[in-house]
Amino acid sequence: MLDRCGLTSHHTSEISLQGSSMIVQQDSTPTIALGQWEEALNVIAIHRDKSMYAELFKYFAPRLRAFGIKMFGNEQQAMEMVQDTMLNVWQKAALFDATRGCASTWIFTIARNVRFDMLRKKQSRKDDISADDLWADGDYPEQEGSHSQQWDLYLIAEKIAPHFHALPPAQRLVMEKVYLDELSHQEVSEQLSIPLGTVKSRIRLALDRLREAIDGSRS
Amino acid sequence: MAHAVKHHPSLSLLEQYTEGTLAAEVALVVAAHLDFCPHCQQLRHDIEADIGCQLAQQPAPATEHADWQFMLQQILDVQESVISPAIEKSSADESFSTHIEQGQHRIEIPRSLQRLAAKRKKWLQLGGIATAKLPSIDDNHLSFLLIESNTEVPLHTHKGLEITLVLAGEMVDEMGKYAAGDLIINTPDHTHTPKNISDEPCLCLSVLTAPLEFKQGLTRLLNPLQRFFY
Repeated sequence: MLDRCGLTSHHTSEISLQGSSMIVQQDSTPTIALGQWEEALNVIAIHRDKSMYAELFKYFAPRLRAFGIKMFGNEQQAMEMVQDTMLNVWQKAALFDATRGCASTWIFTIARNVRFDMLRKKQSRKDDISADDLWADGDYPEQEGSHSQQWDLYLIAEKIAPHFHALPPAQRLVMEKVYLDELSHQEVSEQLSIPLGTVKSRIRLALDRLREAIDGSRS
Repeated sequence: MAHAVKHHPSLSLLEQYTEGTLAAEVALVVAAHLDFCPHCQQLRHDIEADIGCQLAQQPAPATEHADWQFMLQQILDVQESVISPAIEKSSADESFSTHIEQGQHRIEIPRSLQRLAAKRKKWLQLGGIATAKLPSIDDNHLSFLLIESNTEVPLHTHKGLEITLVLAGEMVDEMGKYAAGDLIINTPDHTHTPKNISDEPCLCLSVLTAPLEFKQGLTRLLNPLQRFFY
């Protein structure tokens, strides 16, 4: 689970994938490459490093804004969400735990919770259901996924084919690389320049979706 | 809470829950299911990782009108020592209930319900069934439902969705048997008669999106019953 976020793979993927560092350069954040945000958050937490935080802010704030406009359909609320989220990131950086997921995942969950509570506050009742009720802070016990293997068999079966095409594109792409091109998870991670943990996540989600499509139940 | 949960939310419901786009009451029932279900906890983490990655991999917006420098400065200027204690204080004020008490029963409830359970309304009792509302904001009605052993809930259909999560004990209906952690979704097409045929009380969390409609002649006359459930 340590590599859920690709912690062990980032450096290799930077070296072998010229493309990904090119993308990062275009984003005008030349000092931090994709996948190093976890380290950046730790530096911010320990040293309260404002220039490091400014780098992270420059990368994530515009992306959160685009994300927020999709969620709210409204620029003003999106900007309010960005500010509140990024304030939380600055103040709570010490709570980030890289063994539980990527920096971007952590930032997304903060944004989701901020947005949820923003929408609740409009109705302004203290009794309301809050984000804290809904999303436990990642402290569930770790589960070792063993169900993946038994489903490998089913993947060969023809009945899965029509459902395979109905998978979300990102999940289908990962599944094709793993099951048709027979690449390792690590190789897929490098080819697509996504964290290893995301490769594994997408496989699990795709398998679950396929299982759901086939027998209509999930366990 | 150790047994295997058999009835899960669909993956699309789980995705909406994780994105934060579900109605609050429905999201709460899913959250309580996750408290029982390691399988769905894992899926939630997977969905979060997927969305997080999408967030990070978005191309940088081509044109920028926002004043990021101003926002950055505002964030860095906030006095941390002023803010942190205030946040801790407001959450320390809240009360939590780890158990639900009704009559002689005392039943443990999952984490996600513990804060709201302290705000539940009074129990209303009718025969072997008791119900207590929880605060809700959207047009969905959220309540605890306690079915005594050997008690049947009158036959009913729903105008909207009825989502039930078993929190403790067991119950059966025409479709199957349910135990703690099992999530049951009934659409308006379903007519069902939930029963508790065990020796223990059965505690459920229930969301109704529209008033219940009773079908049997006798219970149809008991109009107040409808209000009781809704």
